[in-house]
Amino acid sequence: MSKGVLVDLTKCFGCGACTVACKLWNEKKYDDVNKPTMGENAHLVDINWTVVSKHNVTDAAGKPAWRFIKEQCLHCVDPACASSCLVKALRRTPEGPVVYHPDLCVGCRYCMVACPFNIPKYEWEQSFPKVSKCQMCSTRIDNGEMPACVSVCPNQVMTFGERDDLLKEAHRHISANKQQYIDYVFGEKEVGGTAWMYISDQPFDKIGFKTTVPKESLPAFTWQILNKLPMILVGWTAILSGIYFFNKRRNAISESKQDSKGGPQA
Amino acid sequence: MNKSSKNDPPVSRRFFLKGVGTAGMACALATLSGCKDAGKPSGGEGWTPTQYNVPGTWPVQVRGRVPIDPNNPSIVRDDRKCILCGQCAEACERIQTVEGYYALPIKDDITCVNCGQCALWCPTGSISERDDIDKVQRVLADTNLHVIVQTAPATRIAIGEEFGMPAGSIVEGKMVAALKKLGFDRVFDTNFSADLTIMEEGTELVRRINNSGGEHHQKEGGHGHTPTALPQFTSCSPGWVKFCEYFYPDLLEHMSTCKSPQQMLGSVAKTYYAEKKGIDPRTIVSVAIMPCTAKKFEAARGEMNSAGAAAGQPELRDVDFVLTTRELGRMIKKNGIDLTTLQPEKYDSLMGESTGAGVIFAASGGVMEAAIRSGYYLLTHQNPPETLLELNAVRGLQGVKEAALEVPGVGELRVAVSHGLANARTLLDQIREDKQNGRPPRYHFIEFMACPGGCISGGGQPRTSVPPSDWVRQARIKSIYTIDAQIYKKRLSHENQEVQALYADFLGEPNGERAHQLLHTTYTDRSGQLTVKTKA
Repeated sequence: MSKGVLVDLTKCFGCGACTVACKLWNEKKYDDVNKPTMGENAHLVDINWTVVSKHNVTDAAGKPAWRFIKEQCLHCVDPACASSCLVKALRRTPEGPVVYHPDLCVGCRYCMVACPFNIPKYEWEQSFPKVSKCQMCSTRIDNGEMPACVSVCPNQVMTFGERDDLLKEAHRHISANKQQYIDYVFGEKEVGGTAWMYISDQPFDKIGFKTTVPKESLPAFTWQILNKLPMILVGWTAILSGIYFFNKRRNAISESKQDSKGGPQA
Repeated sequence: MNKSSKNDPPVSRRFFLKGVGTAGMACALATLSGCKDAGKPSGGEGWTPTQYNVPGTWPVQVRGRVPIDPNNPSIVRDDRKCILCGQCAEACERIQTVEGYYALPIKDDITCVNCGQCALWCPTGSISERDDIDKVQRVLADTNLHVIVQTAPATRIAIGEEFGMPAGSIVEGKMVAALKKLGFDRVFDTNFSADLTIMEEGTELVRRINNSGGEHHQKEGGHGHTPTALPQFTSCSPGWVKFCEYFYPDLLEHMSTCKSPQQMLGSVAKTYYAEKKGIDPRTIVSVAIMPCTAKKFEAARGEMNSAGAAAGQPELRDVDFVLTTRELGRMIKKNGIDLTTLQPEKYDSLMGESTGAGVIFAASGGVMEAAIRSGYYLLTHQNPPETLLELNAVRGLQGVKEAALEVPGVGELRVAVSHGLANARTLLDQIREDKQNGRPPRYHFIEFMACPGGCISGGGQPRTSVPPSDWVRQARIKSIYTIDAQIYKKRLSHENQEVQALYADFLGEPNGERAHQLLHTTYTDRSGQLTVKTKA
């Protein structure tokens, strides 16, 4: 069973406690001027593993309203970053977090290209940079604790639990409050499902979500080719070896024929 | 083949290549074996407060923090200092009943009454007032500008604490001296405009009582802009005013139309004072030293430009900058002035005279007491008896205080006092219920203060104990009443000669046409900015 977090975006009032918890727990620096963690200009960067971005929307009554979006790695059930990693520096643990191991990383940044949500960031300002992204507090989860951001939320915007249970709860909550919520759980099917899932009263594409990603797992696409690789390898070896032995034998036969005729002609 | 000579290398080519090959293999193996152990995942080296480090999904009582709009005019937060202790949320929800009293999702406003109590509770100083010191220093440096300053009643008994003096030290004269040293052209006293407020608010109360006609308190009054609803609410505390606008807009007709003393002095300074001294109001910069963060919000309210509007320059603000007591303390220190060693000086004339009634505005119950002293005079045309000068029923730190007094020729005057917005709710819910059931009003006059203890423990006061505690409040309140009873010569607002001169020379009569233009205001129904929820 893998863990997940369900985020109810209607409950967030933008205090940003989650972003502070992340900085405290992961000892990340602040740079409010260039890399804010909250507001319209908040973006995930090397030192911001999670941000609360502000979006101007129109609410159900047609009035202008604000929505705050808690952003971080979505922790795919079948992560493309991990499948693209040459050295297994990115691995998904059985509990759900997709964890980065800096000691293994060779810095190729394939993960950054592979991620459909543009999550992994690079420490461009460091002399020996590493990739940087939310770890879903994997060490806290190992201790049975909630991720730091989830535990500090004053409004219980986020619920931590078994992913399957949360999904059921999300659908139950939406159907019980049909007039309020969009009937969609973002993260249920996106790229084969993610550990972090969102419900909202606003269309997801209006509040900065990447809704164009495929519904199938991305490593599954490459697997369609890669799973044939052993067969191709063995097959090619067999074919090439066959050709080699065939040619060798043909040459040997033609040489022995000439020998029987009494040596080469001058 | 025996070619070996002295020049032969000691290591053969074969031996060298073998050696390199072996080392390469060993290194490759070592590297690969290293991969078996993935090493530590990144992150997780830090800490979070203990309440968050429990296995499972147990509820945590005190968690997170209050939301603060980055454009909030009153308070700012430095995330680097925030430790997520939850104290700000505790103060906001339990003391002030703001957070948690509106439904989610929010609209396009972060509900905040700007009281700044969170800044008093914050143990690390992560939340603080928006610092306007630099702006004030800039105008002080400009010799073309005439910079005036007013100091609130509560600042004189608190700013000493910023300089190591005991809680409640009375440093009125030293503070005036420090302000003059800082380069302010005139130092005025908000006590003066507190007396002015009493004249206006007292007159308004008398009119409401006279016009209410017993039970028909809802009917329109004869005087164009005089509201008639009873009880009348005080309007000096901008945090309280915004709270009422958010959560009880249906009761705004009870709110006195009088501006707060800060705004009254601001609009009088740019009209009366400017006229008397022959100064162009455009060159006057009006600064206020306040115990309050909500005053920054109040000064920025769109309608607070009466002086400018009267002069045909609506962009002119009545009060340009508001500094909290803490900011003034920092500003004095930055300029290398030791407040404790200064020789006391006096406030400047025209708007510098005080009475005890003005200074007790700083303590919860003070506005009420001051209003009763002068209200008695306005109703009976004689000064109140000695007993009314020590109205202990409305003093002290009890959440809701009540008093009833007999006024000759009028009958019983019933009043109530509350401080801290949670206590305000008790009274407001009662009034709402009474109105809905058509019951006559229980009170004639209610004083509301946003902050527990009143202005003496306002959100901009020195952080002498964190979280703010009653011993500091008691010490400051004691000093306030000491000033009233022992230091100032007068104790009645209507005896303030400078206030009387202002009416005689400029305003006309209390609640008159000009007074209404400059000293009264209107309120905004803010209930559309949030979805009110009655229970947290």
